[in-house]
Amino acid sequence: MAEPRVTDADLQRPPTLPVEGDLVSRRRFLGLVGASAALAATAACEAPPADTIVPYTRKPDDVIPGVANYYASTYQEGVVAYGVLVKAREGRPIHIDGNDEHPVFRGKTSIRTQAEILGLYDPERLREPLVSGRSAGWDAADARIVPALRAAADARKPVLLLTPAVISPTRAAVIAELQKVVPGLRHVAWEPALGAGDQSASCFDPAVSPAYRFERASVIAAFDADFLGAMGNAVAAIGGFAQHRRPAGAGDAMSRLYAIESGMSLTGSKSDVRIPLRPSGAAPVAFAVAGALHTRHGRALPAGFAAELLAPFTLDAVASRYRLDGRALDALVDDLAAASKRSLVLAGPSLPPEAHAAVALLNAMLGTEGFTVDAAFAVDSPSVATPADMTQLARDLDAGTYAAAIIWDTNPSYDASGGGAFDAALARVPFKVRLALRADETADRCDVVLPVNHWLESWNDFEPSRDLLSLQQPLIRPLYDTRQGEEILLGWVKALGGRVTSDYRAYLMMRWERAVYRKGTPASFQKFWMTAVHDGVLRRDAEARPPRTVRADRIVDAARRVARAADPSGMELLIAPDIRLWDGRYANIGWLQELPEPVTKVTWGNVLALSPADAGRRRLNDGDLVTVTVGARSVTLPVLVQPGQAEGTACTALGFGRAGGVAEGQGVNVFPLVAADGSPPFWRAAVQLTRAAGRRPLARSQLEFSLHDRDVVRLWSLDEYARNAGPVGDDQPLATLNPPQDWPEHKWGMAIDLSACVGCAGCQIACQSENNIPVVGPEQVARGRIMHWLRNDVYYVGAEDNPQVAHEPMLCQQCDDAPCEPVCPVAATVHSEDGLNEQMYNRCIGVRYCAANCPYMVRRFNFFDYTSTMTDPLDLAFNPEVTVRPRGVMEKCTFCVQRIRNGVQVARDEGRPVADGDITPACAAACPADAIVFGDLKDPNSRVSKLARSDRGFKVLRELGTRPAITYMAELKNPVGAAVERIDD
Amino acid sequence: MTDATLPAALRIAPLVEGDVSLGGLDDTVRTWSEKTPPRSWYIAITITSLVALGGFAAIGYMLYTGIGVLGNNLPVVWGFLIINFVFWVGIGHAGTLISVILYLFRQRWRNAISRIAEATTVFAFMCAMIFPAIHVGRPWLPYWLIPYPNQRGMWVNFRSPLIWDVFAVLTYFSVSLMFWYLGLIPDLATLRSTTKSRFKRVVFRLLSLGWVGNAWHWLQYEKAYLLLAGLTTVLALSVHSIVSMDFASSMVPGWHMTIFPPYFVVGAAFSGFAGVVLVFAFVRTAMHLEEYVTPRHMDLLNRMVLFLSCVMAYAYLMEGFTAWYSADPYVKYVFATYVFGGQWWAGWLTITLNCILPQLLWFPRLRRSVPIMVIVSAGVTLGMWMERYTIIVLSLKRDYLPSSWGGYLPTPVDWAILIGSVGFFLTMLLLFLRKLPVIAAWEVKPDIVYYQKQRTEAGHV
Repeated sequence: MAEPRVTDADLQRPPTLPVEGDLVSRRRFLGLVGASAALAATAACEAPPADTIVPYTRKPDDVIPGVANYYASTYQEGVVAYGVLVKAREGRPIHIDGNDEHPVFRGKTSIRTQAEILGLYDPERLREPLVSGRSAGWDAADARIVPALRAAADARKPVLLLTPAVISPTRAAVIAELQKVVPGLRHVAWEPALGAGDQSASCFDPAVSPAYRFERASVIAAFDADFLGAMGNAVAAIGGFAQHRRPAGAGDAMSRLYAIESGMSLTGSKSDVRIPLRPSGAAPVAFAVAGALHTRHGRALPAGFAAELLAPFTLDAVASRYRLDGRALDALVDDLAAASKRSLVLAGPSLPPEAHAAVALLNAMLGTEGFTVDAAFAVDSPSVATPADMTQLARDLDAGTYAAAIIWDTNPSYDASGGGAFDAALARVPFKVRLALRADETADRCDVVLPVNHWLESWNDFEPSRDLLSLQQPLIRPLYDTRQGEEILLGWVKALGGRVTSDYRAYLMMRWERAVYRKGTPASFQKFWMTAVHDGVLRRDAEARPPRTVRADRIVDAARRVARAADPSGMELLIAPDIRLWDGRYANIGWLQELPEPVTKVTWGNVLALSPADAGRRRLNDGDLVTVTVGARSVTLPVLVQPGQAEGTACTALGFGRAGGVAEGQGVNVFPLVAADGSPPFWRAAVQLTRAAGRRPLARSQLEFSLHDRDVVRLWSLDEYARNAGPVGDDQPLATLNPPQDWPEHKWGMAIDLSACVGCAGCQIACQSENNIPVVGPEQVARGRIMHWLRNDVYYVGAEDNPQVAHEPMLCQQCDDAPCEPVCPVAATVHSEDGLNEQMYNRCIGVRYCAANCPYMVRRFNFFDYTSTMTDPLDLAFNPEVTVRPRGVMEKCTFCVQRIRNGVQVARDEGRPVADGDITPACAAACPADAIVFGDLKDPNSRVSKLARSDRGFKVLRELGTRPAITYMAELKNPVGAAVERIDD
Repeated sequence: MTDATLPAALRIAPLVEGDVSLGGLDDTVRTWSEKTPPRSWYIAITITSLVALGGFAAIGYMLYTGIGVLGNNLPVVWGFLIINFVFWVGIGHAGTLISVILYLFRQRWRNAISRIAEATTVFAFMCAMIFPAIHVGRPWLPYWLIPYPNQRGMWVNFRSPLIWDVFAVLTYFSVSLMFWYLGLIPDLATLRSTTKSRFKRVVFRLLSLGWVGNAWHWLQYEKAYLLLAGLTTVLALSVHSIVSMDFASSMVPGWHMTIFPPYFVVGAAFSGFAGVVLVFAFVRTAMHLEEYVTPRHMDLLNRMVLFLSCVMAYAYLMEGFTAWYSADPYVKYVFATYVFGGQWWAGWLTITLNCILPQLLWFPRLRRSVPIMVIVSAGVTLGMWMERYTIIVLSLKRDYLPSSWGGYLPTPVDWAILIGSVGFFLTMLLLFLRKLPVIAAWEVKPDIVYYQKQRTEAGHV
């Protein structure tokens, strides 16, 4: 069926939607503000201008100066479409949270999505088209491109279109339009961070990627699967996982997480049982677990999979082969058998396909399909090239038959494995067009570079699952002379004779009217569309797929291969996308570069993580440079000695070593180590490590990870919980000479559930975005001057080779008897009557005594002028409700006082008391685990008051008598032996 | 009864030596401000003033750029500048303790050295007062630390020890300056009466406040001197107690110690005495003052150094004991890092230089040996700087939450400011030695009269 056509006549209509950007753009608003300021400044000396200064007399309906507007939108990263809610002030997007209408995201979003605010205001964005490296207009660019495409179409020569994964039905339609007029168009989708794609899917029929329902899982076994970190949709995973990590009281059970992994991932750090294992051991161990499930618990094997295939794999054999804790493996088997469909076994994307096959077997035996593994509404997996496909593509390009290449967004010169080979092949293509947000490695090699809109300036739709559509709408008119990629393509289609509109919004609406809107429904399409745009998501009725069936043949092959395989020699290297920079696309976002990696606390770079034993044997320390050689490729990385790293393994992260902007020189590009020959791309064996000359000191935000037996964080097993459970200890108040405090109206407080918190750092980026926290750069971080108001402390407890890990978000405790207050000579930090420890920037002279006297060391000091040197337009990202701090003043967490005051004001205006939940600080709003709860401690029925009385509550450094307003709840571990939570159907 | 009839043990040893006379003393004191100084003086002041200028240039750079150019960080929010402040306040105790307390105790041997010691105080405080002003984040605003009715409608926070500090230091400096000046008046009058330069005569006339040295003047003068000495004594004890409260009243482990006030006062006197020994070791010979500042003076000063070193050792032991006895894990840990931590050398340097090295002074011969006293007092000066480094930096580095532990690495700017402050101190001292009477002639003269009388009685003419 033909796609709907939108004619230019359609576009003559005025816009039917109150598109915020159309009515008052940021430019128009700033123009007005600037003009009024200029008027005010000159009023005294000159007569006012005769006309044209009209300060908002015709105020747009939906913009009230000083009041934020929120718009739902969607952000695509890889194959995940994040439903977001963007906060805009006077037309400027300034903060991103999850869309609370979205059934998957429930108001939460990833750290990377939140940081996209800086992506919008990136000073390095392209501002106009470039032709042969020189500024040119769109017409000049089209004058180069359209004839080239026409010639290619006429000559029937192939044209390459390289894009990220296409999960947008309308974008796919646009590409199809282009395909019609350029018949030789070959579309390749490339997502370097996805490696070989979802390998577990290929063991099932149909080969679609399911959603994992962590909220239904009582036993989780993760084989190198960092589902709380950089793998898949971590936001949903954290939310589901955390539900079963917060017992209401002593005696309650909780879920149990087994992490069988090589590096210390965020998931491993939250696990109850962590089994360090080299990646090559994942498949044998998983098969051995399957064998034990079959022999001990009588679990049926899938049809076509003979029991003798598992004979080579016994628990004892793998335990001795990999020196594992046999008791833990036994417990894993028993727990999985007991939990059955309430269990969930995962293999990480970096593992070889055999491990995925073994894990598919486990899931099939446990019957998780349809319960914790949910493919009912899974979309057909979008086609995404693997590194091997890219090698083949390079070979095709090298043949010299391609007439042109269009490279949209994705950056193959940086990330296609063996970038050199791809570049050389690309050079053989006579005409190359780049559609990109900023000049990058690939753009440097293209003839025409077209600047595209940021997604916050764009329209689009996405289909995350068959029962859901997610819409993207622009928050702001394009900052520069840019166009949306789809619009550019439609323009070419039109120029090449296709009958389409080049207005992508109109195109999108028309397609929706035809393909999504069901005629005969009571609401008109306009109303339907407006509701969908408003909500950002549209739930649809869709027919559920029948459960997938496991493809025994694939698992049989895998089991045979694994049984034959010998242990790989030498070190094994596991490569994974970085939780902050992912595949490197966020490299120019300072917030993410400076965000400490949640486990290692390294900022501004990647490292090679080695186990203490391996590092000790090689006499390597943190920051020593080593050259990692795999086959003919090698890169040089600084070492990080990582407690818990499995011996004989090394881990590193993708995304660093980008060129240009703030990313220049930060970290090392490890894409050259990714296998591009069809073998597992992110798992490398026989890795050689040689010491390289020199050191690269790591810029880490935390240097000491041992608790030194201090009671500053509580990590309890369920047994210890039962023994130690009790109220926070405030029933026996510490002696004080201070008069009792009286809070006339409110007493703000917070509760942080360390058991739910996974340490993902979502709160940190939210805080940075909300509170205008500056980025200081790696040198300043290394000198201990990082500015984060909220940090996530990590402590290792126990043996270095496999410690337990405690995460503890640390922020201003808003102490009732705050030690910072009496020592300030100028009274710049004082107590408010609602229990806040307030910092007055313009009163502060910067003696830093408060910071010295803060036992939590949460105060941050502006050693330099970090903000006024900021490049335009980064200042547009500032939250206007929060003062931008000058050089020489102290700052710290305020509990988002601007949100508190706003909440109180709104309640007062509405003539009602402040309700529990009215006020949410940015960190609490962003926390995907809902581990942070804020509220009024004066109200005994508020959520925070109840949590403050929790039987696992404690106050950090309570014995100092600071009387913090934050109650932490002990982190709980559910070790082997304790009960596992039973989850109802 | 004359001294000659006393047993040798009861005789008061003479405070001057050699062929001294009242006129000779006047000449010695006066000629330094009259004649062209030697080449060595010019070389010395060239070097010291260049060093001082370097320090001020570093300060200027810091004021322009931000205090980020220093090594300070989080958690080590206070670094070299505060160490230097405490250090110079400590050096500044020399003058007072020697001059005032010994005056009140009628220790006449103080007379020959009091002037230079008081000058040391004044200059050391000038150095010290640079630091609190420039170490703040917004160095254009430290006047907000002074409570005065203002249009900002803000008042200082009297609970903050830093405010007490402002008062203590400013008061002590102004009283020390007054005391020094008061002591100078009779000698300035002598200079006024004898100088041949018209200009100097005018200046000294103004400075000597019409002093003619009649009996009524002397009567008032001695009263004022005694009263001011009493006042200064109290301040000398209070100022470093209050400086110590910056630390003691905080809750940083390693700072929060009740022993700090007396311990800081002793430490200050200790470094002050060492500083004065160091100054005299050079000035005595360079300015030919051996007859007035005799080996016995040096011996007595060194005895004070030795005594105070023993008190310091006791203080360190008590501090360590308190840390252990407190059973407070945070304090115990910090104290362990002083001597066993990554910067163990700072703690050991402090102990070695302040407690062990001065034990050499038990030997009378060594007490009078100039090289030994230079080594010991230079060691003590460095050791007391290290003590403040240990207390301030090592404590801040290891506070309550291990996650916030950090390091500290001073930058070239830190060093330039520290060395520059030494240069500034020495420049001021050199100018003083050149232009003002370095010995309180009016106080030493009775000693000369007494000495001459002794010699006459002993049969020497």
